[in-house]
Amino acid sequence: MSFVSDTYHLFVRALKKLIRNPILLFFSLFQPIIFLVLFTQLFSKFATAGGFFPPGLTYLEYATPGILLQNGFSSALQSGTSIVDELNSGMLQKMLVTPVNRSAILLGRLVTDAFRVVVQSSIILVLAYALGFNVATGAGGIALMLFVIAFFGLAWSGISLAIGLRTRSAETVFGIGGFLTFPLLFMSTALVPASVMPTWMSDVSSVNPISFAVNAVRDLSIPNWFAAGDIASAFIYIGAIAIITLGATLYLFRKVVK
Amino acid sequence: MTEIIKVEGLVEVYSDGTRAVDGISFDVNEGEFFGFLGPNGAGKSTTIKVLTTLLKKTAGKITISGHDIEKHPDAIRRIIGVQSQDTTVDPDLTGKENMMLQGHLHQMGGEELKTRVTELISLVGLADVSDRRAGHYSGGMKKRLDLASALVHKPKILFLDEPTTGLDPQSRAAIWEYLSKLNREDGITISLTTQYMEEADKLCQRLFIVDKGRIVANGTPESLKREVGADSITMTLENGNAASETKTRAKQVLGGIPAINSVIESDGGLTVYAKNASLIIADIVRALDAKNIHLTSVNFSSPTLDDVFLQHTGRRIRTEELNTKQSFSRFGAARRPTRE
Repeated sequence: MSFVSDTYHLFVRALKKLIRNPILLFFSLFQPIIFLVLFTQLFSKFATAGGFFPPGLTYLEYATPGILLQNGFSSALQSGTSIVDELNSGMLQKMLVTPVNRSAILLGRLVTDAFRVVVQSSIILVLAYALGFNVATGAGGIALMLFVIAFFGLAWSGISLAIGLRTRSAETVFGIGGFLTFPLLFMSTALVPASVMPTWMSDVSSVNPISFAVNAVRDLSIPNWFAAGDIASAFIYIGAIAIITLGATLYLFRKVVK
Repeated sequence: MTEIIKVEGLVEVYSDGTRAVDGISFDVNEGEFFGFLGPNGAGKSTTIKVLTTLLKKTAGKITISGHDIEKHPDAIRRIIGVQSQDTTVDPDLTGKENMMLQGHLHQMGGEELKTRVTELISLVGLADVSDRRAGHYSGGMKKRLDLASALVHKPKILFLDEPTTGLDPQSRAAIWEYLSKLNREDGITISLTTQYMEEADKLCQRLFIVDKGRIVANGTPESLKREVGADSITMTLENGNAASETKTRAKQVLGGIPAINSVIESDGGLTVYAKNASLIIADIVRALDAKNIHLTSVNFSSPTLDDVFLQHTGRRIRTEELNTKQSFSRFGAARRPTRE
């Protein structure tokens, strides 16, 4: 079936490109590693004093899920630059004069993005483990955690790809990605609980998709926090976003390839 | 001869109302080497984009190898190879990987693909560097790689858009030779789009002269040039500066020679058009000499495709090339096509 083999070959190609440009991977990991090593230290005393954070947890334990998601969505938000590159270099055109399955071009991209997020998250997890972070639900929990993060990443890739297809400008993709990252991160429960936020901010945070995803990840990492309902609602919420963003991407992509 | 490409009344209108292609019809026989010649913006590239399924036509009917382009684009994609104007190779993949990917996208695989890639890559002289990343290749090498990857799946029709632009003379000659061989020995139908008249003249068996979205003339390069009907002789005169008395006298003398069709003043001298002009060069020199007008140079030239273009459009391609350095909208980035 050409759909599967085309997706596979395009995934392999994208993977080679990623491996041969390790500097990109390094830069994407730079920020989460700074957060993991420095930010968690900066906040370490707040977490144990003052009763603002859930008792019995170090700040590293609280914030690592947030850092994982931050990495997931900030690197997914760059995904659109790749499609801009394909459009402007003529590579997309070159593919389109072959009988390649059109959807495979997009799916190959998304699978690569998901793969990349999983690899980066694994590196962060290993580093966090070295610093004292643990996943209470074990190997199965880690797998599910990576799945949540990758799925979350895909929803954001959709936004980035749609912007890339619409504007055909890598700068715009970078700009909008950077513009979205911090407001969404700070107005979520990624780094602090909603109870310490001003009311308006905790209101925003309660509908922020990052909060949903980070709750799901914490349920898996923190002992006795597991709640299937949280994970299910994260999936439903992220799923709804993914349908919208990937739907928009698919629509714009169809327009381009037509 | 079987028709392999059949185009009837092709129209392409962009969303801004530009009629890029304004009713083009032509047929191409299997195994023909044909070409489109015209200035930038004439509609050549747009026509090729439609024929290679990249752009939907506004109106008209196109059949390629018996397949309707609207109903069976994939069947057409399987039998065409395309080298676009902008050389496109993936800089992060090696030469070989670039070609393998192209083969994979054509549903090829296994030993068959490997053998084919090895064969083609040495054919275009890239065997030594096939395992180096294409990003390190020179412009000429990239062009050759691009051409080779358009051939991986043994296409029946090859579409080439400016295949030698920016190449040094040796690489250009090598590509010309290779293309002729492909056409002659493998019977591949080749479509060439070019601004180089020499290239079109040398390679194409049939030419379509395109201007403002229409085909204004078509035929073999020889027949087109023959239609112009006159050779030209350009001469410069001693003391023959602009508006000099010598020049006026020379014009009168030349006007008196019956074989000459027309006399035109050009930069340093005069240009005359005449049938079989080579036969009257002596007459011209003698007649002028008799009136004490001396020539510093005489230049004889058979009709060129540029003269053909001039005759059909009233403009020269050369000057257009120099004057309108347009930026090409890639893939309709600036102008998106719409359907009427």
